Amino acid sequence: MDNNLVQIALQNVNMWAIMPSLILICFGMGLLLINVFLPRGTTKHAVWISLIGLVVTGLFVFKGWGDPQYGFNDAVALDNFAAFFNITFLVAAGLTILMSDEYLRREGYPVSEYYPLVLFTTAGAMWMASGTDMMTIFLGLEVMSVGLYVLAGFFRNQVRSNEAGLKYFLLGAFSTGFLLYGIALIYGVTGSTRLTEIGIYLNAHTSLLGNPMTLAGLVLIAIGFLFKIAVVPFHMWTPDVYEGAPTPITAFMSAGPKAAAFASFLRIMEYCFFSLKPEWTAMLWVLAVLTMVVGNVIAITQTNIKRMLAYSSIAHAGYALVGMVAANEIGYSGILFYMLAYAFMNIGAFAVLVLAGKKGEDNLTLEGFSGFGYKRPFLGVAMTIFLFSLMGLPPTAGFAGKFYIFAGAVKAGYLWLAVIGVLNSAVSLYYYLRVMVYMYFRDPLEDYAWVSMPVSVVVSIVIAIAGSLYLGIVPGFVMELAKLAVF
Amino acid sequence: MTPEMLSLSNSPGLFVGLMLLKLIVVFSVVMLMVAYATWCERKIIGHMQTRLGPMRTGWHGLLQPIADGIKLFFKEDIIPSQASVVPFLLAPMMILVPAIITVAVIPFGPDVTVSGLIVPLQITDLNVGVLYILAFAGLGVYGIVLAGWSSNSKYSLLGGVRASAQMISYELAAGLTIVSVFMLSETLSLREIVALQSEPLWGTFSFLPNWYVFTQPLAFFLFVITGLAEINRTPFDMPEAESELVSGFCTEYSSMKYALFFLAEYANMIVVSAIAATLFLGGWYGPLPSSLGVINLLGKIVAFMFFFIWLRATLPRVRYDQLMRMGWKVLLPLALANVVVTGFVVVLLQ
Amino acid sequence: MSSTTGSLPTTAPILFEDYLALGIYVGIALFLVAILLLLSWGLGHRTRSRIKNEPYESGVYPTDNARLKGPVPFYLVAIFFILFDIEVIFVASWAVAYDRLGWAGFGQVSFFTLVLLVGLLHLWKTGALDWGPSAARQNRKNQDIP
Repeated sequence: MDNNLVQIALQNVNMWAIMPSLILICFGMGLLLINVFLPRGTTKHAVWISLIGLVVTGLFVFKGWGDPQYGFNDAVALDNFAAFFNITFLVAAGLTILMSDEYLRREGYPVSEYYPLVLFTTAGAMWMASGTDMMTIFLGLEVMSVGLYVLAGFFRNQVRSNEAGLKYFLLGAFSTGFLLYGIALIYGVTGSTRLTEIGIYLNAHTSLLGNPMTLAGLVLIAIGFLFKIAVVPFHMWTPDVYEGAPTPITAFMSAGPKAAAFASFLRIMEYCFFSLKPEWTAMLWVLAVLTMVVGNVIAITQTNIKRMLAYSSIAHAGYALVGMVAANEIGYSGILFYMLAYAFMNIGAFAVLVLAGKKGEDNLTLEGFSGFGYKRPFLGVAMTIFLFSLMGLPPTAGFAGKFYIFAGAVKAGYLWLAVIGVLNSAVSLYYYLRVMVYMYFRDPLEDYAWVSMPVSVVVSIVIAIAGSLYLGIVPGFVMELAKLAVF
Repeated sequence: MTPEMLSLSNSPGLFVGLMLLKLIVVFSVVMLMVAYATWCERKIIGHMQTRLGPMRTGWHGLLQPIADGIKLFFKEDIIPSQASVVPFLLAPMMILVPAIITVAVIPFGPDVTVSGLIVPLQITDLNVGVLYILAFAGLGVYGIVLAGWSSNSKYSLLGGVRASAQMISYELAAGLTIVSVFMLSETLSLREIVALQSEPLWGTFSFLPNWYVFTQPLAFFLFVITGLAEINRTPFDMPEAESELVSGFCTEYSSMKYALFFLAEYANMIVVSAIAATLFLGGWYGPLPSSLGVINLLGKIVAFMFFFIWLRATLPRVRYDQLMRMGWKVLLPLALANVVVTGFVVVLLQ
Repeated sequence: MSSTTGSLPTTAPILFEDYLALGIYVGIALFLVAILLLLSWGLGHRTRSRIKNEPYESGVYPTDNARLKGPVPFYLVAIFFILFDIEVIFVASWAVAYDRLGWAGFGQVSFFTLVLLVGLLHLWKTGALDWGPSAARQNRKNQDIP
């Protein structure tokens, strides 16, 4: 009996299923090793090596497209769904790394351990997207989160950064507890941690669907992910953490890990709880509306741009949730599309902030942006494009994303939800436009002499602009891919 | 018909009787050895320093341990006013009891046959014996930390913290050396490990037994060093370090509670010697014939104890940073490499 | 005893008897230690005074509480121990079944060990394992970078 078990265990090892994240981890470890042999303060090599690592990983992800790999007794699946999300993570990580070096140098932390941490975090996100077992997903979540806790508190002599790190750690640990408890309850009900098996079991035993234990498990698992996605009422950590963390990390957190949490959440809801669809769509309906409204309304009162973008990211999580409420093909693929688009536009906006900030970033307020558009025309135009995209105006990626998601909602019969979403977008116009008003219609208070244009950051801004415009003008191709990727 | 194992089902009276006999004998022998280890240490170190050691109580001071014991009973039992009382009282027990009960899995002789039933000479043959040893060796550190913390004295605290860092650092290497042993034996039961060592070396050389010290010399070497560090003996007696920390974690203890720490140190010496003898030197097997298995084991233990005492007379205490450096930068990589190389060879050979 | 290759070494399952013996042995040990403590508590003489019951501090009045904060390196050692001890557990679980896992198992465990060796090397080079004067020197060298 034992022999058979061993053989089964070995046969099901399929390294191709985890190859992208494996490569990323290897690059991260190699980088860690190289770092300690070089004098402290040298970071250029780290940027290059991590970028090469991301590109190589990307090649393996592309190779896996349309050729799904399953491994480790179906605990890991590298299918189209995972591949699409992996690309999103890689884009987010790549853009983040490109803008980081200059920023870290300015803030006085040219520490090369930063880059391996970003790579490990990305690898954790990949496991979340490709996990088809509760345990794999949990493992990925932890790998991702632990890296992020460190990154959020990376400026260890800055009080705000420390606060961000600690707050994120405490609340993250707390939410992980919820998730784990939910997993335990569901395991208790169904006797499995494999997503498909849970789904089949629940579908076959309809009497269990109303069981309080099942429902409690569902809710607890959902809470665990909703924390990570920063959905109201689990959003309290977001503004402080996003404001305190290093700006590139804020950009990364709002795109990569959020998408990862969406990926796992989607997979779990669709694989395990499809029999309970009416229940959880009703729950998410309420949360989506709350999230959009609260995020947008509070964003209006913010004067610090980083904090404003934090609240806007809460609102965007609400828009994406609408796709989950719709729970149909176009809604789901809309989420995939939206996450990719959001990675481009949000990280692009943060990249502009990286250049506009002084050491300590006290000037990233609305006042600080007075006349910015005239003094720095390229950055002004870039910021305008990103803000348009965040508002959801054509011809940008944000418009296409919202269009698909709301179309999905309408198709599923949630007309009112779509209407509320559109109204919210209208509200968001106010605070996004206000930044532009300050940039173009106020007299400059400063000469912005400190703003330099290092090549790497400019490259990341250009890529982000290209991405935002491409996804906005010809969304069809990527949308087709996203449709292929959903279940 | 092959004889059956004696068990509760086939002969309850005999089983319980023999079990109690084994328990009492082992326990008494261990306690006796602990008591006389103190005497031995004083005598041996005395002679090594051209002194005589205790001479007054009995012939060559043979009654010294008993006299010491009686004296300690009548000493004042002080509980410092600022101490946390319950952990303060628990600590000496928590350090001595694991040391004594680790002995339970050591086989001290070949199986004997009593009225047609096989009786293993071992208190209990756990199939996870090696893990049991690791677990209880790890428990000892709690007693020391608790003693250091609950005394509420600075010397005690420093001793306790040092001890915990030292013991957990060396536990890693110790665990890995043990892993490389049971990689060869493929079993965690100490009885089977000894039985495997009684075969000829590599199954071919009949002039040497298959003691794992021949196949795993590096592991043996590492195990003895880490064992010394685990039980806080010189040159690794950092937690006590009387020249800097007064008496380390047991500064505030007096009377029998202090004696328990003292006993625990010697009990731990016996345990480490017994484990080293069992895992690497064939336990009760060889060099004398197996019918004298108990003598074999005791002889090996005594040899180890002598070695440990000898070290104390010879070596100065290492500095703390040297101690940690050796644990993490020398022993741990060596033990890891040993495991990987052993794994490579055994997979290659199978 | 053991064992033909390719199957688990046949170890007898733990029986009630084994636990019984172990339990009684633990009982005897605990009982004896308790008796020793009680006896000395009863037999020893007792005089109490405030000075006598103070913690020892080389003969002077103790200053402050002794519940000091431990230096950071000790916490580091604790964390490293957890990491590497888990490693030992994983290696141990492979070591009892290596013959049935073959080269695949060996490769995986070697990779795992390699990962931890990389970690150890990283700790080593960043000075996390340095104590005493060498650590202080290292810290001074890194002063320019916060």
